[in-house]
Amino acid sequence: MVLLKVEKLGMTFGGLRANWDISFEVTAGEMVGLIGPNGAGKSTLFNCISGLHEPTAGRIFFRGQDVTGFKSFEMARLGLARTFQVYVATGDLNVLEYVMVGSFMRTRSRREARSKAEGLLEKMNLDTLAQERVASLPVASQKRVVMASALATDPELLLLDEVAAGLNPSEIDQMIAVIRWVHSDLNITVLLIEHVMELVMRLSHRVFVLDSGLLVAEGEPSDIVRRPEVIRAYLGERYVAQHSGRGTELV
Amino acid sequence: MEVLKSAFDFSDFPRIDLCVAGAVAVFLLVFPSLPHSGFTMATMIQFLMFSVYGMGWNTIGGYGGQVDLGKAQYVGIGAYTTAVMMIRWDVPFWFSLPVGMALAVGWSFLIGYPLFRLKGHYFAIATIATSLVLKDVFESWSFIGGARGLKIPLKGEMPNFLYVQFREDFYYYYIILAFFFIGLFYINWFRHSRIGYQLRSIKDNEEIARSLGIDAHWAKIKAYAVATAFVAAVGSFHACYNFNIEPEDVMGLDLSVLIALMAMLGGAGSLFGPIIGAAILVPMKNYLGAWLGAKAGLAGLDLIIYSTIIMLIAALEPRGIWGLITRLRESRRS
Repeated sequence: MVLLKVEKLGMTFGGLRANWDISFEVTAGEMVGLIGPNGAGKSTLFNCISGLHEPTAGRIFFRGQDVTGFKSFEMARLGLARTFQVYVATGDLNVLEYVMVGSFMRTRSRREARSKAEGLLEKMNLDTLAQERVASLPVASQKRVVMASALATDPELLLLDEVAAGLNPSEIDQMIAVIRWVHSDLNITVLLIEHVMELVMRLSHRVFVLDSGLLVAEGEPSDIVRRPEVIRAYLGERYVAQHSGRGTELV
Repeated sequence: MEVLKSAFDFSDFPRIDLCVAGAVAVFLLVFPSLPHSGFTMATMIQFLMFSVYGMGWNTIGGYGGQVDLGKAQYVGIGAYTTAVMMIRWDVPFWFSLPVGMALAVGWSFLIGYPLFRLKGHYFAIATIATSLVLKDVFESWSFIGGARGLKIPLKGEMPNFLYVQFREDFYYYYIILAFFFIGLFYINWFRHSRIGYQLRSIKDNEEIARSLGIDAHWAKIKAYAVATAFVAAVGSFHACYNFNIEPEDVMGLDLSVLIALMAMLGGAGSLFGPIIGAAILVPMKNYLGAWLGAKAGLAGLDLIIYSTIIMLIAALEPRGIWGLITRLRESRRS
């Protein structure tokens, strides 16, 4: 079943073309990576899909329903959750309360919301931090809390925006385990933006590559890193010319 | 049932806080039987009124983080509903109270819908404007007394519980004390309820809150309505307590600012903050104001003090006195 379908999507900010003519599909049960150099339009694409921006062109379908122009809280209620690339907590919510905000989307009962949040925190190794204020945690932990809160809304599709940025190697391993658990145990389809290639390569079934707002390549992870258009996007025209035919790879 | 349990659940406070709160509650209950002057009694009643104003403001302004400087318009709606209904149709306080609250809440939905399209300072300025416009309307509306206001005629016999007219102030004291406790338990439920968590999430980051399925615009309007119900109820009480209301008293800008200031000084977004703020500011306003005005001839200095307090809060600790206490505790723990 096609869970998410994006059709000729375009997003311009004034004269800036952040996304242009992007079309792709994500099937239920997939784990898909979205890569591309800085400024390629990855986060803008996420913002369009999750209803934060209304795209200036094209259509978005979620579970077969045309959701173009839906607001972000409506998308969340339909079963789409996401994390944010840049986020600094300022409020006085503690970790448990923060995750309960997510679980309150599906229930009114404080008791139910609490037990669901506690279960998620335990699975994500955050239970020891439950009573800490989110704002007092390091940014990497804050991102995990936001991810737990997103999961508490019982999504069918989870968009992860650079959850591994700034993590050390052992934390990356942990994060990979958490994402695998989300995907296989919770049966959630995952679409992830990531600069940490190791994570993308180990997790994704398919990878999309975005460059200057365009979808330039799509394929299996091992294959995609050899494509000249991908290497060009990351390393530039000259690098490709100098190293052509020598079996260059990104990783 | 879960709601009631939640309203009486204070387990997240350290024991020392609960001891202090318990002692204060006992003091408030027995205060009228202690020796006191009439001025002290009036100050205590005002303290309780401003505590409830502050508790109400705290829902949208504290937990929701939307600085609302227009609460006086709803005090006015509550006070005028009670006064007009009592004068024109001889309706007792206990019937006009819910009517006043309902009218105020209805008005708050009309005002809140466009108001919450604005954010931050723009929102704060717009709340001031709406409140002042309504005050102007009331001032030129002859049906409700215009700028000269209304005077509630006294019923024959006293004490009159139906119309809330008493010779002795302690009756008024216990009525507003009941409001105070109902408000306190309501807010204690509110802060752990779904809407309470959603508001705190909106205050933290609205984009994320929306991505968690929260209709931020609607959640703010709902909290605004709750805040309005609180201040309108106290407004109704104010009409009976003062017998005399005029737009300048119950709908002025300084009342709006004071309501917000009580909660902000004590600690916006904390359960006890508004009470602490009122406990400091109301006596200061009354004693200092009376002393400065009468003896030193410096009427108006209290306004300078308020603005100084606002600047100090903004610069030092946006979470007010409660935030200061929390910070001290955190630093001692680590």
